[in-house]
Amino acid sequence: MTRNTRILMSIVYWAFVVYLFVPLLLMVLMGFKDSNFIGFPIKSWTLDWYIGVFKDSEVVSVFLYSTVIAVTSTLISLTIGTWISVLLAGRSFFGRIIIFGLTILPAVIPGIISAISFRIFANLLGIQTGMFAIIWAHAVHNVPFVVLVVMARLATLPKSHTEAAMDLGADKIVSFFRVTLPYLKPALIGAGVFCMLLSFDDFVRSFFLGGYKPTLPVLIFSKLRSGMSPEINAIATVVLVMTAVMGIWAERSMRRMGKGT
Amino acid sequence: MSNTDNTIVHIDGISKSFGKTVALQKLDMKINAGEFVTFLGPSGCGKSTTLRILGGFERPDGGRVLLSGKDVTHLPPNKRKVNMVFQDYALFPHMTVMRNVSFGLELKRMTKDQIAARVDELLSFLELDAFRDRFPDQLSGGQRQRVALARALAPDPELLLLDEPLGALDARLRAQVQVELKDIQRRTGKTFFFVTHDQDEALTMSDRIVVMNQGRVEQDGTPEDLYLRPKSRFVAEFIGDTNLISGEVKHAKDGKVDIDWFGMNVQGRSFDYTPRTGELVTAALRLEKVGFYDKKPETGNAVQGKIVNRVFKGSRTAVDVRVGDVNTAILKAYVDGDVPDDVWLGWDSANMAVLQD
Repeated sequence: MTRNTRILMSIVYWAFVVYLFVPLLLMVLMGFKDSNFIGFPIKSWTLDWYIGVFKDSEVVSVFLYSTVIAVTSTLISLTIGTWISVLLAGRSFFGRIIIFGLTILPAVIPGIISAISFRIFANLLGIQTGMFAIIWAHAVHNVPFVVLVVMARLATLPKSHTEAAMDLGADKIVSFFRVTLPYLKPALIGAGVFCMLLSFDDFVRSFFLGGYKPTLPVLIFSKLRSGMSPEINAIATVVLVMTAVMGIWAERSMRRMGKGT
Repeated sequence: MSNTDNTIVHIDGISKSFGKTVALQKLDMKINAGEFVTFLGPSGCGKSTTLRILGGFERPDGGRVLLSGKDVTHLPPNKRKVNMVFQDYALFPHMTVMRNVSFGLELKRMTKDQIAARVDELLSFLELDAFRDRFPDQLSGGQRQRVALARALAPDPELLLLDEPLGALDARLRAQVQVELKDIQRRTGKTFFFVTHDQDEALTMSDRIVVMNQGRVEQDGTPEDLYLRPKSRFVAEFIGDTNLISGEVKHAKDGKVDIDWFGMNVQGRSFDYTPRTGELVTAALRLEKVGFYDKKPETGNAVQGKIVNRVFKGSRTAVDVRVGDVNTAILKAYVDGDVPDDVWLGWDSANMAVLQD
């Protein structure tokens, strides 16, 4: 690579970084503005908007509601996804490729299509819109990501490990829980965090399947319709910090556990 | 079947194919308690398949496996008193040395104290005390190998299977571990079933070697038997360095076989069979059994020759000697020190085994 292309590359890279982070920075800054309107100049600073977020019982309860949905749907996705991965990673059987295809399908269907189909399906089954319906939709949507990550990890598990467990007296179930599952731990943490973020972030499915109570993105959307205010910036900043912390933690612990195995 | 004899494993006519590939053809074998048996052969000879059938990881297509007189052919690995040291050791990476070793014991309904006592015993026996809280990735190759051994010995198996466990070690360490392993086998009195393609390992450790080729037993005997009295060309060539001497049988009686080798008359021994006069046979002569003399020696066989090639190997020199009236035959041998090019070669006819095929 010549010197010029290297300089050009780094300019492009830094331009990309600016493009990526300036909007986030603006959003965070506006959350500290002591005014009802978003925009420069910022004449005085305040923490009131943040205090308001934590005092607003609706925001807090919606936040908890979204968290419960994220955690529950993630646990379901992890269970089903791991189950399917182990099934698919075992000896080959008729229809294996079809099952794999069907498993991955929800990941590539456009959100709006899947949301509408979930809604129609829920109506047909008489499932009430609300928490249960949202959890169900999120879980189905997230299974493919779990399967992809877990299958990749499973492919690196030497066959001799499970054979050794069997050899030492373990049946298939004990061998799964004591040897396979610990080996999958980094993959499960990674996939789990990713699923939680996807669920927490999801708007379309939550909007179509939600009942009276909104999830956080739906609440923010409804607040936006009544006009932008720094309160939204404050909510968004809190979410940003929490998800970033979770993502970094997951990445670090995956890397630490992934070593040595 | 009765168990009055010392048989611990009875392999009764097992066969196994993978698709069109035949891995084992009606293998019959008895293994005595306390024996160190090595299955030796090139890859694909059926030695690993035999091991996996004994471990319960494969089912034979036909035949039975009896362990202490009990038919275990269709029992899964976790229902057999057989444990295995895997080729890659297969230590559980998320468990410490201690937890790895106690794994098999925890599944045996033993009390915590019993488990702890047994683990301590094994760790000190294999000199692993200092590493009990380490994880496998914090151990050297040799230490891992010992942990794998401790883990497999822990549940007190009737038969211990070892699947080329020295393959991952470097040459120097391997030589040391061979001696250790034999010593451990002697001290525990366990039956070891060892699989390898390395003839050196087999000769060093085994009480008995079974040479396998293409799913069949080529020869079954003590290391000395196999080395000095190979029955087939395959065994002679697979184990050690050997001269193969082919010629027509001129006379055979009482195990003494006179062979016409490029016009030279040489005598070998045949074991358990007598070739016909006129038959074309091959005899095996180990390189180090050939002696060098400055005049015609009094040994059973003596030929005159000329050294045409020397390769220095440190403690000795490998030489090629042209022999015979028309200088058509080459005999390989080892020599220490200086020897002139024109020599007499001599060897005992008892050291030249006539092969059965």
